[in-house]
Amino acid sequence: MQKKALLLVGSARRPRSTSESLGSHVLERLKTQGFDTEVILIHRAHRSEEQHAAMLDAANHADVVVLAFPLYVDCLPALVTKTLEQLATSRRAGTPKAGQRLLAIVNCGFPETSQNETALAICHQFAREARFEWAGGLAMGAGAAIDGLPLEERGGMVRHVIAALDAAAAALAAGTPVPQETVALMGRPLMPSWTYSLFGGIGWRMQARRHGTQKRLYDRPFAE
Amino acid sequence: MKITILDGAGSDGGTLAALHASLVAELDARGWEHRSFILREMDVKPCRGCFGCWVQTPGMCIVDDASREVSRAIVQSDLLIYLTPVTFGGYSYELKKVLDRSICNILPFFKMVKGEIHHVPRYERYPRLLGVGTLPQPDAESERIFTTLIERNAINMHCPAHAAGVVFDGEGPEQVERKLHTLLTAVEVT
Repeated sequence: MQKKALLLVGSARRPRSTSESLGSHVLERLKTQGFDTEVILIHRAHRSEEQHAAMLDAANHADVVVLAFPLYVDCLPALVTKTLEQLATSRRAGTPKAGQRLLAIVNCGFPETSQNETALAICHQFAREARFEWAGGLAMGAGAAIDGLPLEERGGMVRHVIAALDAAAAALAAGTPVPQETVALMGRPLMPSWTYSLFGGIGWRMQARRHGTQKRLYDRPFAE
Repeated sequence: MKITILDGAGSDGGTLAALHASLVAELDARGWEHRSFILREMDVKPCRGCFGCWVQTPGMCIVDDASREVSRAIVQSDLLIYLTPVTFGGYSYELKKVLDRSICNILPFFKMVKGEIHHVPRYERYPRLLGVGTLPQPDAESERIFTTLIERNAINMHCPAHAAGVVFDGEGPEQVERKLHTLLTAVEVT
C-alpha cells in the first residue's frame, strides 16, 4: 500500500511563504520515493468546519507528517498551536494509527538558528503527548532571505539547506531518525549576522517608504 | 503597581479559574491595581504575518480588533502576568493569539542583546513578566520548556525582570498561594 506524507504549513503569508518552500522541498523528495503527498495550509483549513475536519483526518492517517512553520514570539504561531491542541485531543480520544512519524521544520526572522530551540522542544513534546514518533526537528535562521521562493531559485546561499532537506527526506523514507549531522547542516548560517541585520533594516525602510510611513516608523501609539 | 493579567484558559476556564481567583486575592492583598483579560471571551483574529504593524500602521496592528486594547495595556503595565494551561510546554492558543498580535510593541530593526540579535524596543519601558502555567501533574520537560519560553519572551520583549512557575491539579489553596507569593515577590517592582 502506498505510504502517505502530509505537509502542514503553519504560515499565513500569501501568496508564498518560506515555511511552504522548505516543507514542499521535503514533500517533493518523498514523492519521488513513492509517497502519496498532500499539502494543507493550516490557516485556510480553519476557515470551515469541513476543511478543518479534513485536516485532522489527514494528519491522523498520514504515515509521515511534516509540520513547517515560522517562529512567532519564540514559539509556534497561534493557529499551529490550536491545530496541535485539537490533534492531540482527537488522538487521546481514540487509538492513533501506529508508527506515524513527525518532522518539524521551523524558520525564524533572526539570523541565529538557536532561537528556534524552544519551538522544536514544543513540537517534540507534542509528539510524545499525541503519540507520534519523533523523526526530528530542523531549524534555520534568516528565513526571510528565502522569501517564500523555491529553494532552487535562491542560489548557492541555500545549497546546504537543500542538502539537509534531501537528507531528512531520505531518512523519513527509510524510516530512520533525521541524523544529527543533517540538523547541524540545516542550521548553518545563511550569512553573517551583521549582513542580515543591515539588509533587514534597509528592507524595512524600503517597505515603509512604499506605504508612506518612513517618518512614522518609531511611533508610540500606546505610550499614553 | 499596575498589572495586566492575560488569562489563556480554554473554553471552560478549567483549573485556571481557581488559580486566577487566588492570584487576584494575592494582588488585592498587596494593594496592586490589576486588570484581567479573559482571552477566550475576546474576538482576536490570529496574526497574518503581514508585518503591517511595523510598516503600514507603525506600532499598531492593521486589524482593528480587541488585540489593540491588549497591546496598549501591556505597554502601560508595570507587570504582565500570563496564565495558561501548559500546552506541550508552551502557551495555549487563547494566550498565543494575543501574543502574536503584540509584536507591534517592538520595532522591526535589530540590535545585539546578550550575544544574540533581537528587535529594538519601541517604547522606553516595558513590564516585568510573570508566567504561571497549569499542568495536570508534574512533568519535568514541560516545565523546563515553559520556563525557558518565559525567559525567551522576556528577552525579546525587553522585560526588565521575569519569573515562571507551574501549578498542578490537586494542589491545595495554601500551596498555590505560597507559590504565587514567591513568584510575585520575585518580580516585585520596588
